[in-house]
Amino acid sequence: MIILKNVSKIYPPNIFALRNVNLHIKPKEFVSLVGRSGTGKTTIVKILTAEEPPSKGQIIVGGWDITKIKSNEIPILRRQIGVVFQDFKLLPKKTVFENVAFALEVCATEQKKIKEIVPQVLKIVGLTGKEDRYPIQISGGEQQRVAIARALVHRPKILLADEPTGNLDSINTREIVDLLLKINEFGTTVLLVSHNREVINAINKRVITIDNGTIVADQKIGKYLL
Amino acid sequence: MFSSSIYRILNFAWQSFWRNIWLSLLAITIIVLTFISINFLVVINFMTNAAILVLQDKIDISIIFKPEVSENQVLEAQNYLSALTQVNEIKYISQKDALEEFKKNNASDPIILESLAELDTNPLGAALRISAKNINDYQTIIEIINNSKYNNLIANKNFDDHKAYVAKTKNISDYIKKIALVTTGLFIIIAFLIVFNTIGVAIYTHRQEIGIMKLVGATNWFIRGPFIIEAIFYGLIACVLAVLTVYPLIKFIQPYLNKFYLSSDFSIIKYFNQNFWQIFGLELIIIIVLNTLGSIIAIRRYLKV
Repeated sequence: MIILKNVSKIYPPNIFALRNVNLHIKPKEFVSLVGRSGTGKTTIVKILTAEEPPSKGQIIVGGWDITKIKSNEIPILRRQIGVVFQDFKLLPKKTVFENVAFALEVCATEQKKIKEIVPQVLKIVGLTGKEDRYPIQISGGEQQRVAIARALVHRPKILLADEPTGNLDSINTREIVDLLLKINEFGTTVLLVSHNREVINAINKRVITIDNGTIVADQKIGKYLL
Repeated sequence: MFSSSIYRILNFAWQSFWRNIWLSLLAITIIVLTFISINFLVVINFMTNAAILVLQDKIDISIIFKPEVSENQVLEAQNYLSALTQVNEIKYISQKDALEEFKKNNASDPIILESLAELDTNPLGAALRISAKNINDYQTIIEIINNSKYNNLIANKNFDDHKAYVAKTKNISDYIKKIALVTTGLFIIIAFLIVFNTIGVAIYTHRQEIGIMKLVGATNWFIRGPFIIEAIFYGLIACVLAVLTVYPLIKFIQPYLNKFYLSSDFSIIKYFNQNFWQIFGLELIIIIVLNTLGSIIAIRRYLKV
């Protein structure tokens, strides 16, 4: 599903964000990518969403070699990969429903389909009944659920969650992790980027540890090592 | 799918237009001024062309024959000159008519009239008044006459000073056109910069939405679309306002033009009506192209992610 072969990312003049990273994530896997801040975790997310090109190496996502992806192909890739961030990236002037629908609107989905899909996704993330609320009127955990719902509306095969619990308290953190596990059970490959030891240790799934741009550990049922 | 895209692009553009209404109004005002200055250029062009036509109409060459030249010889010269392709019209003025005209022109001068009365014969020769098809043909006609057998029969040739007036008018009109052109150019640059900045601000206020659009897989054209449409809105609204401003203005100046040209043949309103689409259509296309270009440049850096 996701293959990185000898991937390096060098920022000028000569700063290595990633150094010869090799990674293979199978379909329907739940993988946690852990490491300290600034070790290259987010760079991997950016490379997978074609936000940054690699300096070296090959990247394959869902059988598609995106190493030298053309700019007009990037939107197609991004519709296949859902992304969730620490800061939610919700539009404050749009309601919960509108925020989720926005992802479909900008991809020219018909209104009828939007009205069909959005309530289904909101039900999965447990936000039924809160469709008309604005982001400011719901909790941080609920805001992250909206972001996850938005990432899911395209029915992506891969969900990248970049520090999704970074802004949340322990209860909300647990709920979001449970939601990600539930989404994984439905068949979506999940790559969770985190530096939260408790979260990682509670998941009991594959853990890849990265340090200084290099993978230093890859455990099948792993723990937070650093 | 395509129609819902178009609908959403139009909807986003409309929202952006209203959310930044003061900036939108500023951009529209500048574009209206640009339209007006371009149309000022059109009016100046019309007026100078009309003035040149009026003056051209008054230009002619008068060939005055010696008094002893017979009427037949003059008519023969007239036939010869009529055959020239450069000649538009030739008016024959007999010796008798020339004398009458001379008397009429000098009616207030008794000494001249008395002197004429003392003469037994008509001292004035017959004349031909020639008008050319084109102002530049007069020189050629004069050269042909000079080299013809009729040159010896001619006492005098008057190539009217109107040519100097036309040249002067052309000079003035060229000068005014240059000023109007520079003014228009300046307005176009200002309009371009204002639209560029207005769209820039609109894009800046939407940067969060643009980021999310990119994140969820919107195409660059879908993201650009609303801003380009917004720029087109500016052009369209400004064009309508310009039409509503220009027509009362030309209506206002029309009576002055009639007085100036001593004729109502030159109707600027008619000219604008007849060339409405060429004038406003072309201006609108230019403005829309410039606005679109401005918005594409302004949004470029936000599309890189």
